[in-house]
Amino acid sequence: MFINYEHENSVYNVTTEKRDNNFYITYNNTEYKAEAEEIKPGQLKIKIGDRIVKAVITEGDKEKYVFVDGNVYKVKHVELTAKKKTRKKEEGNLNSPISGKVVDVKVKKGDKVKKGDVLMVIEAMKMEYLIRSPYNGKVKKVNFKEKDQIEIGEETVEIEK
Amino acid sequence: MKVKKESMHFLRKGKVNGVNKNMFKKVLIANRGEIAVRIIKACQELGIKTVAIYSDVDKKAPHVQLADESVCLGDPTPIESYLNIPKIIKIAKDTGANAIHPGYGFLAENPDFAHSCNDIGIKFIGPSSKVISLMGDKIAAKKTMEKAKVPVIPGYHGVKQDNKSLIAEGKKIGFPLLVKAASGGGGKGMRIVYSESTLAEAIESAKRESKSSFGDDTVFLEKYIDKPRHIEFQILADEHGNVIHLFERECSVQRRHQKIIEETPSPVMTKELRKKMGDAAVAAAKAVNYTNAGTVEFMVDGNLNFYFMEMNTRLQVEHPVTEMVTGIDLAKWQLKISSGEKLSIKQKDLTQRGHAIECRIYAEDPEKGFLPSIGKLEKVEAPAGPNIRDDTGIYTGMKVTPYYDPMLAKIVTYAENREENINKMIWALSRYVILGVTTNISFLKNVLEHSAFKKGNITTHFIENHFKEGTVSKEGLPIDAIIALAVFDSMHKKSQDIVRYKEVDPHNPWKHVGRWRVSGEGGQ
Repeated sequence: MFINYEHENSVYNVTTEKRDNNFYITYNNTEYKAEAEEIKPGQLKIKIGDRIVKAVITEGDKEKYVFVDGNVYKVKHVELTAKKKTRKKEEGNLNSPISGKVVDVKVKKGDKVKKGDVLMVIEAMKMEYLIRSPYNGKVKKVNFKEKDQIEIGEETVEIEK
Repeated sequence: MKVKKESMHFLRKGKVNGVNKNMFKKVLIANRGEIAVRIIKACQELGIKTVAIYSDVDKKAPHVQLADESVCLGDPTPIESYLNIPKIIKIAKDTGANAIHPGYGFLAENPDFAHSCNDIGIKFIGPSSKVISLMGDKIAAKKTMEKAKVPVIPGYHGVKQDNKSLIAEGKKIGFPLLVKAASGGGGKGMRIVYSESTLAEAIESAKRESKSSFGDDTVFLEKYIDKPRHIEFQILADEHGNVIHLFERECSVQRRHQKIIEETPSPVMTKELRKKMGDAAVAAAKAVNYTNAGTVEFMVDGNLNFYFMEMNTRLQVEHPVTEMVTGIDLAKWQLKISSGEKLSIKQKDLTQRGHAIECRIYAEDPEKGFLPSIGKLEKVEAPAGPNIRDDTGIYTGMKVTPYYDPMLAKIVTYAENREENINKMIWALSRYVILGVTTNISFLKNVLEHSAFKKGNITTHFIENHFKEGTVSKEGLPIDAIIALAVFDSMHKKSQDIVRYKEVDPHNPWKHVGRWRVSGEGGQ
């Protein structure tokens, strides 16, 4: 079967097939023959040639988490588009990095701001996070006022370049 | 200064046949997470009944399960739960607790709480409220230490708190300098300023953060030490005037001014320096008639000069490393001291044996400036092995909420020497499974594997110097992970089948049938 895993904006196309109790996995034009057993639910012991890989896999709501050699990778299954997509790296965004409370708003609509200016201060877990302008521009809209609750990913301020 | 002995009418003195007859019968633990678990276990070993308190989101937390009794605080907001003095005092009274252990954080260094407890005849496990107030006021603490001949860092600790005066004083001290909240701790309300141009902004921001965290916006300024190490000394002081120190803890590896890796012995410590600093720590404790467990924090510069920074009037997060190398149980001694017992350990009886490291596991993303991460822990499996201690407050299925500190667990290892111990810690971290929420485990491993760390060349700038943003390997998904996923998905094929239905006909009712069986045979 064909599977596409998305990890950090890259897609990995993998095919896998089970034959005679072995797994044949093809990735990047290389085929790997593996013997594998699930020791406990989600806990795999995989033999690839003379190498043993131990992994723990858990399914979340949308993602899968893979633990291999002390590192954790979060992946998603994606529809069969076959094409490797990489999202354009953003210039910097104005979204809140954390859910918390707005404790200070430094700008108002129409203000001119320079790159690096502090626009808003958000407090979460007793730490302060400064939202800085990623570029020079003019404030088009301020989406929150002091004492508002803000959720992760919400846009703090809109700035016109 | 003299500290008045607080009333102890609720305890009868005396120890018969080595058994402390005054030991508390029941203790309320005013905390959550791993530290509440740690304290409950210490109580249980001493035969003390325990009362846990918990907010709505902590209903299933390990400390609740472990305690003999537990009482709900309701609303999870800290101010309505673990910081709510009247609620907690009422629960202590209602359950008949003789004492309250505050843990660390929350109310641990709140003099009003200590005072309120003792007022109604419930012993606060920690020093007196007067000592907490004095040490909580960083300016007064420094002045007291200067008088006691404990070296302090040059700075401005004055009462003029307007921006103009602070800027003028800052210029006198010179740059770089540190703006610190007078009531601060744990890096909150602290800013480093490298030039005059950013001083005003830093003062304002430190004041605001301090106001919201501690209800006080007094700040002070001090000289910023070059190549600084953070080395602290553990103190135990009984209520009969005996004070001992339990050697140092090296806590230089910090991010955002918060410790993440602690160890003892410190790689720079010499016998002579240890004696000098230990004596200074004991002098500091005696200067304020300190009682119970405490920590004297020092800044040590590149030439091994040391300066008093502050005294923490509580059990520290990193106390287990001291327990590992000394064999002394600090949490149990807190209980014994509070119940009036004399310190039976003498300074000369104590030795440091081997090497201990603690790594703090946080729900945070090192690639995104160590921002806290929240979500559900899909799987938690801690490593086990010789001399590996896992102090934890988490479990599979638990939700990490934004209400509290993002520390999930502390892993502590112990070995004959530092080199072997670093390898043991790397082994343990490589086997610590926490899935569902981003943690700093890989990052901790990268620090331990760093050649400068291995050589012991660490300062409080270690992370900013060696780990610029995104240093944690970004090479994508390794082949082993891809193979593991593919194998797992071949073994559990059902999700793929559902996708196929969807492709054929999006309105097909069968795609909703899930795992139901269609045949009548053995129907459920």
